[in-house]
Amino acid sequence: MISSIGIVLSWIGFVNLATLIFSKKKNLFQTLVRVNLYIHFLLFCLLEIGLFLDDFSIYYIANHSATSTPPLYKFASLWGSLDGSILLWNFVLSIYFYLYVKYYRATTELYDIKIFAFIILFFNGFTIFSSSPFAGCIQLASLGCQDFTLLPFQDLVISDAGRGPNPLLQNHPLMAIHPPVLYLGYVGLVLPFVVATSELFNKYKDENWIKIAEKATYFPWVFLTAGISLGAAWSYEVLGWGGYWAWDPVENVSFIPWLLATAFLHSSKTQIKERTLINWNYVLACLMFLSVIFGTFITRSGVLISVHAFSNGNIGTYLLIGLLAFTSLFIFIGINNVEYFKSSKKVKNLFGRSGFFVANNIILSASALIVLIGTVYPIFYESFFERQLTMGRSFYDILVGPLLLILVYLMTFSTKVTKVNLNLKKWIIQNQNEINITLVISIISTVYFKASYKFVFAIFGSVLLSVIILKNIITRLKRTKLQGTYWTGQVSHLGIGIFTIGLILNVTQSFSNELIISAGDTVNFGDKNFTILSPYEEIKQEKNVINLPIEFDSKEKNASLNIFKNSSQQAISSPAVFRSIESDTYITIKVIDDDKFKLIFRENYGIFILWLGLATSSASFLTRVKK
Amino acid sequence: MKKYMTLFLFLILLILPIIVYEDKDSRYEKLSKSLLCPVCQGETLYDSPSEYADDMRSVLKEQIDNGLSDEQIMDYWTARFGERINTNPQDTNLLLIILPIIFSFVFGYLFYRKVRNE
Repeated sequence: MISSIGIVLSWIGFVNLATLIFSKKKNLFQTLVRVNLYIHFLLFCLLEIGLFLDDFSIYYIANHSATSTPPLYKFASLWGSLDGSILLWNFVLSIYFYLYVKYYRATTELYDIKIFAFIILFFNGFTIFSSSPFAGCIQLASLGCQDFTLLPFQDLVISDAGRGPNPLLQNHPLMAIHPPVLYLGYVGLVLPFVVATSELFNKYKDENWIKIAEKATYFPWVFLTAGISLGAAWSYEVLGWGGYWAWDPVENVSFIPWLLATAFLHSSKTQIKERTLINWNYVLACLMFLSVIFGTFITRSGVLISVHAFSNGNIGTYLLIGLLAFTSLFIFIGINNVEYFKSSKKVKNLFGRSGFFVANNIILSASALIVLIGTVYPIFYESFFERQLTMGRSFYDILVGPLLLILVYLMTFSTKVTKVNLNLKKWIIQNQNEINITLVISIISTVYFKASYKFVFAIFGSVLLSVIILKNIITRLKRTKLQGTYWTGQVSHLGIGIFTIGLILNVTQSFSNELIISAGDTVNFGDKNFTILSPYEEIKQEKNVINLPIEFDSKEKNASLNIFKNSSQQAISSPAVFRSIESDTYITIKVIDDDKFKLIFRENYGIFILWLGLATSSASFLTRVKK
Repeated sequence: MKKYMTLFLFLILLILPIIVYEDKDSRYEKLSKSLLCPVCQGETLYDSPSEYADDMRSVLKEQIDNGLSDEQIMDYWTARFGERINTNPQDTNLLLIILPIIFSFVFGYLFYRKVRNE
C-alpha cells in the first residue's frame, strides 16, 4: 500500500515539476513550488511511516531495516542507503527551492524557476525511472529482498524480517544528525548555481546576482562545515580507530565543494566592493554545484572503494548525463556573457583587500585541485595500467597541509583589511604585544612537547591568529555588537585558529600501544594507571554487547564489542574514552581470546581543542542572524 | 626595547627544535601507517580493528624484530598484495608530488596574470 502511494506520489511530483518548467504563467509558480515542497515532505514522511511499520513489502525497507532495529536507527535508515538518501536529497532540494523563492528571488523572469525545477526533476526522475525507495518487492532473498518493481499496484511479496542497516550505521546517534546536516550544506550549493546561471541567462543586467549568490552560499556553507565536523565526530566515536579524517574519497568530495565555497564567500566580497574578479566569481558559483554532482558521481557509481560507498548499477550513467547537461548550461551562459566578464576591473593593491582575496582564492582552489587529483588519480591509474593504487594520508598531508597553513598566516591580517596596501612594519608594531605573547606560548609548547619545525611553524601561526582575533573581538565588543559579515569572518577565522592548534597537537603528539590483558589487571599507559574490571555480556534485541569496564581516576567506562544479529559483518568495537582538555585516552578492544583481551590504548592529543574550533566556526552564523 | 624582545624570542623559537626535537613515531608505527589493510575499506594496518589486520601486524612486528630494512619489508608486502598495499605511492613516484605542485603554480600564475593590473 505504502509502496503504491509513494510511487504514485513521486509521479505527481514529476508532473508538477514538469508543469513548472513548461508553464508560461507568471502567477502560478509560487503555488507549484509550495506543492512541490509538500509532495517531497509527504514522500519523506511516507517512507518513515513504512520504516516504523516494518513494511517489508518495500524493497528498500526489507533490505535496510529490520524488526529489531531500534527506533532512532529506523528513522535514520531513510538515508542509510542510496535510494532513500536520494529521497532526502530531493526533499532538501525542495526546501531550498521554497526558501529561494521566498527569501532570495529578485527577478521577474522565470529562468531561475525553470532551471531549479529542471534540477529537481532530474533527481526526481531517477527515483521514478531507475530505482525508487518505494519500489515493491517481487522476489525474496534468503534475507531481505532480491528483486523489485517500479510500478504501483503490483502483487508484492513480503519478507518476514528485514536485513537491517549496516552495523556501522546503527551504532551511534550521530547517524541521525550527520547526514541530514551534511546534505543541507552539500545540496544547498545548488543555490549559487541557479542564481548565477539564471541571472546571466539573458546577458548581464545588473550587479545584483553576486550579492544574492553570496548570501545564498553562506548558510549552505555553515551546514557543510557543521556536517563535515559531525562526520568527523562520528568517525572518532564509532569507527574505533581514534581518527576523524582519513582523506577517504567521500570525505574528499565533500571537502572540495567546501574549499570552493569558502573561496567564493571571499571573492564575491571583492566584486561587491570593487567590481573585480567577476569572471572568476561566475566560474566559482557554478563550480561549487558541479563539483557536488561530480563528487556524487565518482563516489556513487561504484568506481571507488570507500567506507561510505554504496552504489547502484544505473546511477553512474545517470549522474554523468546530469553533469554534462549542467556543465553545458554553465559554459553556454558563460560564452554569452564574455563582454560583461571583460568589464571586470583589475586588482591594484596586492597587499590590500583584493590582493589578499586573490591569494586566498589561489590557495583554496589549488587545494581543491590537489584533493581532486588525489581522489581521481587511482581511477585513471587503474584504467591505464590495470593495477590498483592507494593514495594514503601522507600525499594530502605533504601537499595540502602547507597550503592551508599559509592561509592561517594570511588570516592573521584579516582583522583590519583595507583597500590600500598593508604596511607590514606598522602592522608588526601595532601587534607587538600579541606577537610576543604568541612567541612565548610557542617556545613553552615546543619545549614541553619536544617538538619539530613542522610543529613550530603551525603552532606559531595558529596561536597568533587566535590571539589577534580574540583581542580584536574583546576590544571592539565594548563599542559594537558582533553583527554583520565582518564578524562572521572574524568568528570563523578564530575557529580555524583554534582548530589548527588542536590539529597540530593531534598530528604530532598522539601515541598508542597494544596490550594483552585479563580482568583484574592494572595497566600503565602514558604515566596513567588503568584498572581492568570483569567483563559482562548484555543481550539486546538487535545485538549482543560484550562490555569491558575500565577504571581510571575513579571514573568507570566501558570498552565494548558489538555483535549484530542479522549481519555477517564482523563485530564493531566501541571505545572507552577518558577525555581531558589536553588529550583523550581512547581504549578499544581488538580481539577477545578466551579470557584474554587485546586492547589498543591511544593517547589522542588536541581532540577537545579541535572540536572547540570547529564548533566556533560553525557558530559564526549567529553574527548573521538579525535581531 | 619591545622590538628587541620580539627579535630575541623569535631567534630562540627558530633554533629550539634542533635542541629539543624527539621523533616519537617508532618504525612499527611508521610502517603500519603506510600499509593498507587489504580486506578493509581504505583503512591502514595501524587504524584497522579487523582480525586480519591484527595478524598482519604481528608479521610486521616480527619482521622489524628480525632486523629487516624498510625496503625489504615493503617489498615483501607489495609482492604479496600488489602495489595498492603501499599507501604512500609518492615515495616511489616523485611525479605524484611534483605534478600537482606544477599544476598549482601554473594555475596560480595564470590567475595572477589575469587579475593583475599591468
